[in-house]
Amino acid sequence: MTHGKINNLLKEKPIALELRKVGKVFRSDTGPKLRALENVNLRVLQGEFVTLVGATGCGKTTLLNLIAGLDTADEGNLCLGQGLRFGDNIAHVFQHYTLFPWRTVVSNVSFGLQMRSVPRSERQARAAKLLASVGLEGFEDAYPHELSGGMRQRAAIAQALAIEPKLLLMDEPFGAVDDSTRNELQEMLTNLWQENQATILFVTHNIDEAIVLGDRVLVFSERPGRIAREFKIDLPRPRDRMAKEFTDLFIRIRTALSGQLD
Amino acid sequence: MSRWLGCPPTGNSSEIWIFRIGSPLGWIVVPVILLIIWQIAAQWLNQPWIFPPVSRVIGQLVHPFREHYASGSLLSNTLISLLRVLLGFLLAAVAGISLGIAMGSIRIIRSSLEPIIEVLRPLCPIAWLPFAIAVFKRGTLPQLFGFGYTRTVFDQVQLGMVFVIFVGGFFPVLTNTLDGVRGVRRNYLLLAQALGAKRRQIFRHVYLPASMPMILTGLRQGLGLCWFVIIAAEMLPGAESGIGYLLMYASDNAAMDIVIAAMLIIGSIGAFLSLVMRKIMSGLVRWHGKEI
Repeated sequence: MTHGKINNLLKEKPIALELRKVGKVFRSDTGPKLRALENVNLRVLQGEFVTLVGATGCGKTTLLNLIAGLDTADEGNLCLGQGLRFGDNIAHVFQHYTLFPWRTVVSNVSFGLQMRSVPRSERQARAAKLLASVGLEGFEDAYPHELSGGMRQRAAIAQALAIEPKLLLMDEPFGAVDDSTRNELQEMLTNLWQENQATILFVTHNIDEAIVLGDRVLVFSERPGRIAREFKIDLPRPRDRMAKEFTDLFIRIRTALSGQLD
Repeated sequence: MSRWLGCPPTGNSSEIWIFRIGSPLGWIVVPVILLIIWQIAAQWLNQPWIFPPVSRVIGQLVHPFREHYASGSLLSNTLISLLRVLLGFLLAAVAGISLGIAMGSIRIIRSSLEPIIEVLRPLCPIAWLPFAIAVFKRGTLPQLFGFGYTRTVFDQVQLGMVFVIFVGGFFPVLTNTLDGVRGVRRNYLLLAQALGAKRRQIFRHVYLPASMPMILTGLRQGLGLCWFVIIAAEMLPGAESGIGYLLMYASDNAAMDIVIAAMLIIGSIGAFLSLVMRKIMSGLVRWHGKEI
């Protein structure tokens, strides 16, 4: 696997991330080989918000882990755009275990800064500011178990944003919260994205969420995981779930997905 | 149901109250009844060298400075035992935690040391005593650092004793730390890695705090075992001080009141050490059992 830098002068926006024919096979000692990913081609431009939608267990998480550098691909090429580096400016928000239970909220948010040896006072100040931006003022000294599910995900987003990521990978971050909290979190994330100009790759199994958030929705197929369809979402933000364009898209994506499921 | 005695409930769980005790039934009523039965039975039996009355045992306990023959007082011998235990336990804690974290997170260290540890672990720490005495002779802590005889309580801290205490505390700390580290969720390692933690930082900021509840459990078990071991070690021939030694010496002199007084002291200190460790644990790892 090579991590070359790409300078694509023809595009108006530089490329943040490109995958070519990426494949991944899991081998267990006893069971059969499992082809988690096959021939995945993906290009994400800087500042783009891309959502990946697919059934649970279709390899979406594996794909994110490859991009995050937490795992390595068996086939194909994965290229990070200029300035992107593993363990530096690529942040990851998970669905579960998003916060360290032994740390307070503020020290969870400043974890990445602490790892980068940022002085204590500065990282406290930056963490406090980020907590305010996700609506968690006053919860600095709470422990994660004292927060609700939605508040934990807010803290997790602040934790990821603290390292000032150029690429934000989100793995079903709102999968475990109720609908109204989910809507609030989606709205907050959209605002943060518009303010921060970050590139976001967002994995979900919720079609509605994929359309509300993304510039583009990629439909993922199952076993082996592959990108089956792509939908461009040109609707203005904030998006109206009741609009006809929205519901039409919903039905088209749903059809594409169920075609994969059958 | 627990009740607060002596201090008001504050509702602030981070405050450490050593004196928070259980129901007065178990702490006062039952013990008082037992003491009364004991006193009556002992007076009726009238053989104090076998079964001394409570009054004589209490008489010993309220005079902890009284010298018994040439073997020191209840208090001085208790302090000697505690000193030996704390020193051996401290060494065991440092060695057990470091090796436990190393073994739990680095496969090659674990696979190369596990067999030896599995053989040495079930060995009663007391079985090490003859070996320890042979190796360390009568060497004491001040002698180790070249001070010779210092006429302080430290002259009673024999290295052989400390070694046996170390062995007693080491294995519970090691095995619990190892289990704790091996039980660290991979998700936390991934999260730390995703946030840019390097390998060394993951040891300090993930493995160590995540296994802290198990480490503290190991420390509590280890300290309890150290206190067990020191009493047994001091009761063996060759010992010349310590609360276990005084107990044995008093027994040889048919001073059963001192024997029972020593037993009560040993039990109380053991309970106190356990309580302190438990309080430290609940104060230090407030998140334990509440993982998300």
